[in-house]
Amino acid sequence: MPRQWGGADLRFGSSMAEPGASWGKELSNREVVIRLLKIAWHYWGTCLLLLILQGVLLALFLAAVELTSVGIDFIHHKIRPSIQPPRWPFYFQPDATWTSTEVLVVIALLMVALGLIRGVLNFWYKMKEADLIERQVMFDLRSGTYDKLQRLNFSFFDANASGSLINRVTADTRAMGTFISMVVIQTVILFLSLLFYFGYMMSIHVTLTLACLSTIPLLYYLSSRFSKSVRDDYAKSAELADTMVLTLSESLSGISVVKGFAREDIEKEKFQAINCHVRDQKKSIFNKVSLFTPSVNFLSHINIIILLAYGGYLMSKGEFPLGQLVVFVGLLQQFAGQVQNLSNITNTVQQNLIGARRVFEILDAPIEIANQPNPLPLKKARGSIEFKNVTFGYKHAEPVLENLSFEIKPGQCVAVLGPTGAGKSTMMSLIPRFYDPQEGSVTIDGLSAKTLDLEDLRKSIGIVFQENFLFSNTIAANIAFGHPEATQGQIERAARSAIAHDFIMNLPKGYETVLGEGGLTLSGGQRQRLAIARALLLEPAILLLDDATAAIDAQTEKEILEAMDHAMKGRTTIIVAHRLSTLRRADVVFVMEHGRIVQAGRHEDLLNSEGHYQRIAELQLVDAKNLYNSAETKS
Amino acid sequence: MSRTKDRKVIALAPIEIDADPEMRPLEFGLISRLFTYTRPYKNSRNALIATVILRALQLPILTWGIGRIINTTIYNGDVIQLIQDVSLFGLMALFTEITFHYRMKLALTLGELVVHDLRTEIFEHLHRMPMSFFDKTKLGKNIARATSDVEAIRTGVQDVFFISMIQFGQLAVSALFMLYYDWALFLIVVLLAPIIWGINKYFRVRISKSTRRSMETWSMITATLSESIRGIRVTQGFVRQGTNAEVFRGLVAHHANNNYGVARSTAVMFPLLEFNQMFFTAALVLVGGYRVLSTDFHLPVGNLIQFIFLSQLFFGPIRVLGEQYHQALTAMAGAERVFALLDTKPDWEDKPEAVGITSCSGHVEFKNVSLAYDGKTPVLNDINFTALPGQTIALVGHTGSGKTSIINLVSKFYLPTSGEVLIDGRNILEITSRSLHQKMGMINQTNFLFTGTVMNNIRVGKPEAKDEEVEAAARALDTFDALSALPNGFQTVVKEQGTGLSLGQRQLICFTRAMLADPKLVILDEATSSIDTITEARLQKALHLLLKERTSFVIAHRLSTIRHADLVLVLDAGRIVERGSHNSLLEIENGVYSRLYRQFSEA
Repeated sequence: MPRQWGGADLRFGSSMAEPGASWGKELSNREVVIRLLKIAWHYWGTCLLLLILQGVLLALFLAAVELTSVGIDFIHHKIRPSIQPPRWPFYFQPDATWTSTEVLVVIALLMVALGLIRGVLNFWYKMKEADLIERQVMFDLRSGTYDKLQRLNFSFFDANASGSLINRVTADTRAMGTFISMVVIQTVILFLSLLFYFGYMMSIHVTLTLACLSTIPLLYYLSSRFSKSVRDDYAKSAELADTMVLTLSESLSGISVVKGFAREDIEKEKFQAINCHVRDQKKSIFNKVSLFTPSVNFLSHINIIILLAYGGYLMSKGEFPLGQLVVFVGLLQQFAGQVQNLSNITNTVQQNLIGARRVFEILDAPIEIANQPNPLPLKKARGSIEFKNVTFGYKHAEPVLENLSFEIKPGQCVAVLGPTGAGKSTMMSLIPRFYDPQEGSVTIDGLSAKTLDLEDLRKSIGIVFQENFLFSNTIAANIAFGHPEATQGQIERAARSAIAHDFIMNLPKGYETVLGEGGLTLSGGQRQRLAIARALLLEPAILLLDDATAAIDAQTEKEILEAMDHAMKGRTTIIVAHRLSTLRRADVVFVMEHGRIVQAGRHEDLLNSEGHYQRIAELQLVDAKNLYNSAETKS
Repeated sequence: MSRTKDRKVIALAPIEIDADPEMRPLEFGLISRLFTYTRPYKNSRNALIATVILRALQLPILTWGIGRIINTTIYNGDVIQLIQDVSLFGLMALFTEITFHYRMKLALTLGELVVHDLRTEIFEHLHRMPMSFFDKTKLGKNIARATSDVEAIRTGVQDVFFISMIQFGQLAVSALFMLYYDWALFLIVVLLAPIIWGINKYFRVRISKSTRRSMETWSMITATLSESIRGIRVTQGFVRQGTNAEVFRGLVAHHANNNYGVARSTAVMFPLLEFNQMFFTAALVLVGGYRVLSTDFHLPVGNLIQFIFLSQLFFGPIRVLGEQYHQALTAMAGAERVFALLDTKPDWEDKPEAVGITSCSGHVEFKNVSLAYDGKTPVLNDINFTALPGQTIALVGHTGSGKTSIINLVSKFYLPTSGEVLIDGRNILEITSRSLHQKMGMINQTNFLFTGTVMNNIRVGKPEAKDEEVEAAARALDTFDALSALPNGFQTVVKEQGTGLSLGQRQLICFTRAMLADPKLVILDEATSSIDTITEARLQKALHLLLKERTSFVIAHRLSTIRHADLVLVLDAGRIVERGSHNSLLEIENGVYSRLYRQFSEA
């Protein structure tokens, strides 16, 4: 029964009215616990069933224990009639006419029957629990977190390393699941069973129970102190192990640098140092572990000693039956085990809360860029773009774009040129509303981008990124990424326009070739052309090409330019480029520097007016002219 | 229909659980070889064995002691005796736990020591291998040898052997005790033992199979997640959030079902084992009770109680041994892979008579050189050329024409299949790789950087260099200003794989690194990416300074680099098809180079 946690309807997200109220502010432990309990409350029906089942299981267990002790005492009484007859449970009294063998058979059969019922119930319990945790809680948490994650603004992804984001959907949601299964359910069960055991033992003999359990507080104290004290050691150990693996993997992935600079010995020393560090750091863990476990064992031996001494004394006075002494030994062990579990749980709580807090951070993160109420549809864009006094910065204090204004007519091709950090990519990312400007406005077809339906807006724009990410999937699926229902015909048409069809057909499996890790690796030029095809499949009115010819040698660049010429026809195009060959083709060239357009005009005009463009052109032309000159003089 | 559906998959996750088997039968050769790794620590190993033997006896004795106290001392109501017995029991318990302390500590330490030594050995072995080895094996596999496989061995060394010994001892001692007390009851135990063993084995196989399934879907989830996050711009730009979420929900549901499958196996196994235990107790009460009460046997009731305790000591080890057996098979698989790696001989090593060169003028000659990586398909054919000291040799040609292979031969990453590579007139085979590499500066296309500061990355070229030397090298290349302008200057920390630095900055660092090495030979695989024109100009200038008066081999992608070269070698399908200066090559009508050049200048 999957729960839908659609974008705005994030059931477990912050219920606070104003978005961003909790964003950036750490939730306190108490808040996290309350929210986790609220989540658990969604599954209260199953939780209750689990608790009831566990109660029944415990009762059955004690009944079986009782039967064992009755069995022993019955035998004991038969051969030594002087001692008390057994205390029969459940108001059950064997008929006086039964032979002792018959009584034994009845006891044995009852025990087997109890065992059978317990087995079945136990199975039911375990399956129900797995169903709750795995198929409901974990499923809801993971798909909900992923769903939200995908809708978050780019600024969130800029601020968080991808490894950390992956962990939030994997390990951190697991920590939340653990909180529900361990803390919410197990703790209740633990207390329940401690209560059952305690009650049962008390019902047998009060002072003996108290005497035997006198070491329990010490056990609890030792266990919780132990796990607290090794936690940091383990964390440190994991960290060292990570560094060690990193050292190894770096040395191997940079093996040509290592060998090329004759650095093998230095690398060995480096690895040896961290390897020794890992080994030596473990000593303290080993010491603690090997002190703790035997101590706990010894504590349970002390319990037994108390039982034997005091219980034996009671028995000699005839106040305590033999069978119950035997089952007491077993119960004491159970009890001590549960107390240790409890101390483990209390220690994992802290870690669970850290994980949960990180998940809530995602669930609570506001989606700043979303549709306004009653957005305007944009089904068939014409493709005019206007920036009006746009100011934008990733951090408020440092604007990347300052008071930027320009207008692009439908079907125009604009080339943008400028040094790294001038704001070219930033400017482009405002058009599909990856970010919203802090001041000024971006208008498409005369309408403010903010008022347009976000999905319509983005579907009218084809984007080719600077680093084109292709998914580990078939080529066809990658081209059809923005429109998964596209027909093979549409996909091929897009590929042809991007001059990609021929190379795709030359691949062993054509359009069904799988890319990525474990699949085929494409050259930079091929990847670019697939990215262009992916953008063209949408038949966008606006085409944004961010430095699409960067990672390519001259030979492939020619092919890509051809592809782009095709692609640009009839579309408003903005293209970031460095090479004159590209700049020459544009209707208008913008020269950007420090977030402003410092020059704008046709290539020929800019070339003849003093300024940045001329300087850059000269730098490139020096090379080319020398070539021409030398070639001409020789021939 | 199915096609459209396939397309919705965000990522067909790469499942890398291919050929490596998880388990392997016990093999004496592997075990004894593993055992040799404990030899350097034989004192603590022998002490460990002693504690293990002690423990195998102590545990049954303790259990027997409890039964003994109950069925004789307490039974007879002798209080004085009781105090004595209980004190003795306490001392024995103390002794047992002290033994346990040493047994744990010694075992854990021994495991760690062996693992440490294995890791060092693996690392050193890997660094002895020639480049061809790394082209053939995946990075992840080599890392797995030093991590997960070694961890499997650790459990084998520190647990399997010793725990099994203890458990066998317990099993045997408690069996003897039981046999001594009552042979008929022992018969029940003997009949139940194989059933418990069988249940254990059956379910362990099932659990490990379903765990594997769950791991597979798990790796799909993480791979998909990682792609979703790295491709988030594409996803949002193409409005795919909804489709992706639906696909991911499917994946998560699949994984949840697999986990549920794992739970099903354990949910059957543990109750079944518990039921067995219950069945056994019932049988004891019935058969034992009958034997106590019947006039033919007169089994003392104390013996029955002894039996109840001892049987637990008997059944426990069966379960533990089952687990240990499983662990042992995993350790075997790990050991097999690790030893297979350690036994892999390098394809070639420096000849023993090879000598180190102390000086190098930079004269490089190729004489009829051919190279076939696989020994069959030649990638270089009959290459002949001479590079005079100080010359720049530009290598030009399509992908796969053999440019990289020539560089690989000059740097002695590979040996020629036939022909000779001569450095200063001396065959490269007679020169140690190490001394050759010390005379070389290398810049590869990926501009590989280590995590650490910029300063330390430059120092890779000359590890003993002082800060001033590093700065001097940067000044000589005119990269000092650019590197000082980084957020923390030379102390800026480079993150994994150079993230946080622009491509231009990474290249400047690599150039400076090569400069610091002050090499006689420079090997440069030019990056293909274009950088903004200003940075580009700065790089060209630095490159010019770096190559001055050094023999250099450049896989060139930039016209300016080619133009400055003293000799351009145009390669096609493993042969030099044209050679000469840029200008002389342009004169060849319809030549390969002039065609290439036209593409350059038209672009």
